[in-house]
Amino acid sequence: MSYFIELLINGALTGLMYSMVALGIVLIYKSSGVLNFAQGAMVMIGGYAVWLLAETGLPITLAIMLALLVMFAFGLLAERVLLRTMVGQPIIMIVMLTLGLDIFLRALGPGLLGTEPKHLDIGIGMAPLILGDVLTNRTYAVGGVIALVLIALALLFFRTRLGTKLRAVSDDHVSSWSVGISVERAVAISWGLAGLCAVAAGTMWGAVQGVDWSLTALLFPAVAVVILGGVDSILGALVAGLAVGILGSVIPGYVDSLVGGSTRDVVTSVVILLTILIRPYGMFGREDIERI
Amino acid sequence: MKRTHPSPTRRSLLKAAALAAGLGIGVVGVAQAQDKAPIQFATLMDFTRVYTFLTSEYSQGQQDYIKLVNMEGGVDGRPIKLIIKDHASYPERGIAQYNEARSDGAVFFDFLSTPVANALMPRANEDHLPMIAFAHGRADAADGQKFPYVFPAAAIYRSQAALLLQFIDEHEGGLKGKKIAFVHIDSPFGKEPIELLNKVSALKGFELKLFPYPVPGTEQAATWTEVRRYRPDKVIIWGAGPGQAVSIRGAVGNGIAPKDIHSVIWLSESDMQSFTGDTVVGLKRFTAVNTGTSPAILKRIVDKVITPGQGSGDKAKVGTTYYNIGVASMAIAVEAARLATKKLGAPLTGEKLKQGFEMLKDFTAEGLMPPLTITDKDHQGGGWGRVSEWDGKQWAPKSDWSHAFQDVVWQLIREDEAKAKK
Repeated sequence: MSYFIELLINGALTGLMYSMVALGIVLIYKSSGVLNFAQGAMVMIGGYAVWLLAETGLPITLAIMLALLVMFAFGLLAERVLLRTMVGQPIIMIVMLTLGLDIFLRALGPGLLGTEPKHLDIGIGMAPLILGDVLTNRTYAVGGVIALVLIALALLFFRTRLGTKLRAVSDDHVSSWSVGISVERAVAISWGLAGLCAVAAGTMWGAVQGVDWSLTALLFPAVAVVILGGVDSILGALVAGLAVGILGSVIPGYVDSLVGGSTRDVVTSVVILLTILIRPYGMFGREDIERI
Repeated sequence: MKRTHPSPTRRSLLKAAALAAGLGIGVVGVAQAQDKAPIQFATLMDFTRVYTFLTSEYSQGQQDYIKLVNMEGGVDGRPIKLIIKDHASYPERGIAQYNEARSDGAVFFDFLSTPVANALMPRANEDHLPMIAFAHGRADAADGQKFPYVFPAAAIYRSQAALLLQFIDEHEGGLKGKKIAFVHIDSPFGKEPIELLNKVSALKGFELKLFPYPVPGTEQAATWTEVRRYRPDKVIIWGAGPGQAVSIRGAVGNGIAPKDIHSVIWLSESDMQSFTGDTVVGLKRFTAVNTGTSPAILKRIVDKVITPGQGSGDKAKVGTTYYNIGVASMAIAVEAARLATKKLGAPLTGEKLKQGFEMLKDFTAEGLMPPLTITDKDHQGGGWGRVSEWDGKQWAPKSDWSHAFQDVVWQLIREDEAKAKK
């Protein structure tokens, strides 16, 4: 039984780490209706930013704070330089643009900073947290707490005046313009907030594995999370993150040794397929009804 | 009117002689220029995608070594020119670059990518152009009869696993009755040693359990929970790049002592930077070449290339594991070219270079690596290596150069070939 509980807890913590990546995707989608396929690459750039600042001799906390500013500014810049020029274009072309941004960033980071993994020491030791017969990874535990804090802040933010404007923008760009809301500003802020999530995720995942291109691979589980939870739902990112993490831990924990291969990616793929087939808008996503 | 030919004056004779001499010098000059044209080696690698943890240091070692060779007169007076390109591990890009380099006259290839190397092994055989797959790639590449133009030229993965098992058997209390956990990336590379482990398990009487984790290996929490519950005596980790650091963290975080962790060759000084102090001191790894700058070949690189500022990259990387593997891979190819030119004459062709590889006998690259002897049958060169231990700063050798269970390694190669024929 303790084996199951350990798989459950570690899976939940891993899932919360996925939620940090997914939250960035949700925030952008909520304001602009665009699925940001560059979020994985933004996580990598966030990790590189923290590493680069820490390498200058700054304390890690200060490096993270500055990286948050840098990536918020990056988000604003991405809106100004890329997204704004695409106003009026089909949404699929904007999604393609985010794919292009993903490829560009994946080449830029390692190209400028070298391809070997960068060591990111955030002061969390390797000794596990021991809860009876259950061991958990300290970095994942801290990451899980940070993910919960970010999700809570995001939920609170959408209750503020600015958040309400973003919700209005997510409902209808034209109507928002007509009542004086700056859609461009709202979209820029959502990209900036996604940049903050990227720093959080890049720091925590970078502390686990080092910072390199492979951080971009986090996009896959994050997309599974947003599809299951609903691409416009912050609460969905939390619940689906937990679900994807737990399923991806418990099922392989019992099945892998029987089949002689890793089944975690299979589990994640099945989650995506079943969700799209059964409930295309996810557990908590809004089902849009269009007049035809 | 009688036409008379003017009799040649002394001046015109001198002019004619000068012209003839000039032409003669020109012809000889062209011939000499052709004779001394560079020998082209193509290093088409993945600098930007999957093998990024390794390629830059490996290529840096190759480039610095070739600079040294050229400074010292090249091969038979001909310089070596490296064609360096990035195929990002995409086989179609690698094939296009191979075709281009072949058209440009390259006689030797290094792809440093299992998918690209596998895609091009049959082409190398057809085109009679040797390629190296140093300490990686398919096991049957070791069979010179099957792949006459492919040269692992170092221990293949099964030989590496065999040597780690032998080390446990001889230096860590024996294999009999032990529980060995094999924690590996779920890819052809990760699965490569499994058959050997099973065979040796039956021979030596130890229990083996496999623990695969998904590509790219950045999340292994559930895997290590399972490993801990298995309570292994020894753990062998088989991955590359960031997945290796995640494996070590997973192992240590689950109470497995570093001294009981053994790794495939792909674990460098750069990877170990993730671990401060003595947290993973005692961890062991298969080693194909010596590290550091003590070997004579490295000393000359430092003296003639690095110190005068002619190095190809970060000075701090000179002498690291991957840098030295790069030097070794190129030293083998250059020695093969030397032997081929000496015994078979210029110009160097793919066929001659292949024979040059097969003339290598007890070649150590001036103490950089174990004695390498390649024959027309064994392109692995005996499967030599040693086990090194991380002492907190560097990899320290813990055993002499050796090889292990080569009868099993070759039995498996024959079985694979028999299966492939069915």
